[in-house]
Amino acid sequence: MARLGTDKFVVEREKEVATRLSPGVFPAGRQSEWSAQNRTLTHSVHPLTNSVALGVAGKQPRELLKTDVRVYEQDQRVYVCGLGTMPDERLPFVNDTHAVFAAIQSIMDARGDHVGVDALLRMSALYREAMLRQVRVLQDARDSEFVRSENDVFQAMHAVWHLLEIVYVTTNAGLSASVVPYYMEWLNFNFPAPAAADGERILGSSPDANALAQNPDVWPYVQKLALRGHVTTVANMLERIAPAQALSAAASRWARELAQTARDMPLGSSDETSGSFNGRWRRWNSGLQSMATNMGSMLDKAEDAALSALLCVVDVMRGDADTISRVGETWQDVLGAVLLYSEPTAQTERLPALAQLVLEQFEADDFTLVDRTLAALVRHELPEFLVYCNQIDAWLSAHVSDLMEHIGILDSCRQVFKVEPREHYLVALGERYLTHEGLWRVAMDYFGLCRTRVSQSIMGEYIVRMPLESDRKAQQVLRVCERYKLTEASERVHRQLGRQKWQRGRLGAAIAHFVRVNDSSAVGQICDQLWAEYLASGLLTYGPIIDSVLASSGHDRVRFLTQYRDFHECYRAGEFARAGKLLLSILVGEIAPIHAVPDLLVDSIPLLEGDALVFGADDTLELMRCAESVVFVGGEEGGVERDELSIFSVACARNLARSYVMQ
Amino acid sequence: MNSLQVQPVARKITGIRWLPPRAGNAYTDTDLYFVSGSSAKHKELVLWTTANPDFQQTNDDNDNVDAETSSPLATLVAKVKHDGDVHDIAAPASDIVATASSFGTISIYNIGHTDSGDNSLSLREAVTAHKFANGEPAVATSLSVQPTNSADAEIASCGEDGRIAYAPISRLDALQRHEVDSTVITGVCWPMPAQLAIATRAGQVKLFDRRAPAEVQAVFVDPSNTYEFECIAAHPSQSFRLATGTDTGAVLLWDIRNPKKPTMEAFNVHESNVWSVGFHSSDAAKIVSCSEDASLAVTQWVSDSDRQSRGVRHLSGFFNTLSVNCFDVCPFTRTSIIIAGSDSGNLLMEKTAASDFAIY
Repeated sequence: MARLGTDKFVVEREKEVATRLSPGVFPAGRQSEWSAQNRTLTHSVHPLTNSVALGVAGKQPRELLKTDVRVYEQDQRVYVCGLGTMPDERLPFVNDTHAVFAAIQSIMDARGDHVGVDALLRMSALYREAMLRQVRVLQDARDSEFVRSENDVFQAMHAVWHLLEIVYVTTNAGLSASVVPYYMEWLNFNFPAPAAADGERILGSSPDANALAQNPDVWPYVQKLALRGHVTTVANMLERIAPAQALSAAASRWARELAQTARDMPLGSSDETSGSFNGRWRRWNSGLQSMATNMGSMLDKAEDAALSALLCVVDVMRGDADTISRVGETWQDVLGAVLLYSEPTAQTERLPALAQLVLEQFEADDFTLVDRTLAALVRHELPEFLVYCNQIDAWLSAHVSDLMEHIGILDSCRQVFKVEPREHYLVALGERYLTHEGLWRVAMDYFGLCRTRVSQSIMGEYIVRMPLESDRKAQQVLRVCERYKLTEASERVHRQLGRQKWQRGRLGAAIAHFVRVNDSSAVGQICDQLWAEYLASGLLTYGPIIDSVLASSGHDRVRFLTQYRDFHECYRAGEFARAGKLLLSILVGEIAPIHAVPDLLVDSIPLLEGDALVFGADDTLELMRCAESVVFVGGEEGGVERDELSIFSVACARNLARSYVMQ
Repeated sequence: MNSLQVQPVARKITGIRWLPPRAGNAYTDTDLYFVSGSSAKHKELVLWTTANPDFQQTNDDNDNVDAETSSPLATLVAKVKHDGDVHDIAAPASDIVATASSFGTISIYNIGHTDSGDNSLSLREAVTAHKFANGEPAVATSLSVQPTNSADAEIASCGEDGRIAYAPISRLDALQRHEVDSTVITGVCWPMPAQLAIATRAGQVKLFDRRAPAEVQAVFVDPSNTYEFECIAAHPSQSFRLATGTDTGAVLLWDIRNPKKPTMEAFNVHESNVWSVGFHSSDAAKIVSCSEDASLAVTQWVSDSDRQSRGVRHLSGFFNTLSVNCFDVCPFTRTSIIIAGSDSGNLLMEKTAASDFAIY
């Protein structure tokens, strides 16, 4: 297969999704009529989820049309379509893998640069368990096209992930571990062959050795067993066939010998040195070679179907490439047999070269998507591999690129892609999760744990568009902002909450939110609203509202309202001296809004005219100064005409006189 | 950290409550029932059943069971759609369940048990208890049932509109509402049959006399800290003890015998908002709380005679990373069972064998 150039995977087309609107907008086939009557479709995309709202609209406004158009029922419908939504069946899988993903990030944080292979291996195994659990759940579910396609997806993901784990994690331990036993385990788990059902059928239909030997399916079955390295089963089958009458004496003898040899196949153990294993293996292999030569010469002399079938098995087991290619059905089969029988101690570095040789024998166009993905992985063509993973499922590409980043092999992809691959895929997965209402928090975690500037800003945009349906949800959104240090988003959420509560008439809570973000103009407006309500009703009911706002807010208006309320309470309790002091401090501190000052001055009149002397000379002069300053401002809004202050001035003058007398 | 058993149910669970046993107060039911409420995409009430651990043979390997190899923790028996998110559930009797919803309604559901084993949930009636001044529905944040044995027990709810509402369970249309706070009220409970206590987001605990709810009997605040309260619970027998959970992860224990000078002790057991708090039903020396930090905490707040000293035990599950929203401790079994629901779409359970009784 020719090495493909970069243009193959640089441009990746999103899968097109089409949805039919049902019931339809116009009768079938009458689209041109419909369109001629000034109709078209208009749409709006939801800011968070992948849903689109569609409705019928006019190309021109109805008022401009010369003849009026009749409005039908279909014109008044609004359709809401979800595109590419996350199905509910995946929820347990999504949540479990989210837990593993978060655990990996924190492990990697804790360890720094030391790539903990054991830890990664454990996490990788947890991912695979989650996939297998999902496959089991799907198998219990009722059959439907959706279930079948989901099943395919998860089995494909498991095969790909398992091979990735073998190639890059398991054999990364630093010791010169051979990849062969792991590859065979992977092959036999994910692409099991030959089917156990076939074996049972063959044995079931052949009650004795004779029938077995004459069964036409038995020799291909044994050959396939040999190809996959199931040597014990091969030996068992041969020993069953050997005593058959139908076999020639020679075939019988060779069958028994082959069975024995199969059982003697050397298996590596962890405490054996590679030198001694290689020695044993070479001896075994040469035994097979001589067996093949002998059998071949016998066959030259006489035709024997059983013997030639046996020779085929021997050829496979001694690593003859041509026979292997003939017996093997898929390239994974052939690669496995080549590894197992000609290079049993091969390490991961040998895989690309061997794979290339094997793959050349197959037609690339017949490959399924899974085949292509696995081929790219085995040939260590990582950018291509990532793109194929994305076509299998968004989950796969996101988590594969994350794992590759932690192992340290993602750099080769960075030169090829224009965008950062891990960030691109994680953000795409997060956006996919956002389409499901219950997964917004999981999506935020994916954005946040991606830890790049781009993902941070994307996250900031999404979080402020989260619907804040309840107080608890708002708290959770704020916690997310805190956790991922999105200070600007946090402020926007507080502002949104403040406005929401303002509209609903919860003024105290609204003030609290605006105080949090230091929005003094909004606080001022709300306080003005409270003041206006007080003036309108004459009842000072805003007391509890103000109390609940943080006392340390320090905002002028809030302090004004608090002190004014305290003034009222003192007045009601009869503590006129204290009330007077409070009123004075409000006026002197200039915390009152201009339009409220005249009312305050009017409030001071009873104190001025009262029996006890509340305001001393200095205080009275202060009051008069305040009054003057308000008058000066008159001409502008909020100012007061001089004659409106006449009663006040008179009271002041009288009080001043009294104070001089009493002092 | 002890681990919780986890069962994924593909629903965000926001309310959970054990049902009283059917045979009155007897402890002889072999199956226990509980109701869970879910929010977000699927708003439902689900009735579950689980085996009573008091009747099981001792299984030594019951802890840390792998979720996939063991049988499920609870089996679904019946479910019904719910109008709005479920914010709280109360179970006054074994055949009635009351819920507080995000549309501000209190709804009563009937649970039907037939002899053939069929169970069903159906809506009996609903009343709108909470609304904002501009007419928008306000979320009803919490529910509590009056702790009296009379047939006419009342149920109280509190909401984001700053009101408390209460009505007899049998006559919901006689609902009375009173505005008592200017911020969100996050929790309500009955320390005594004639007294209500609420916790607000402004960090205040307010007490009301049931007969005159428009006036506040007492207000308790911790002036040294700016807390925001998320929940409140009353001690089952000592009506002067209240527990509140805060938004920063502390559980506060109040002693309000002296209303002018309440004492308060803070236990910093969580790292994030404490959504629900309660005194353990069989051992009130423990306070159980659940939090946004995906864990449950059991705090021993007073050392008792048999060597249990003050301390805290945390419970969490590896596959449960999102907030634990609600929990309930089964008051009807000797083995203490805590069930909880989380945002990760999981049902969580923990069983601890009862300590042997000392024989005098």
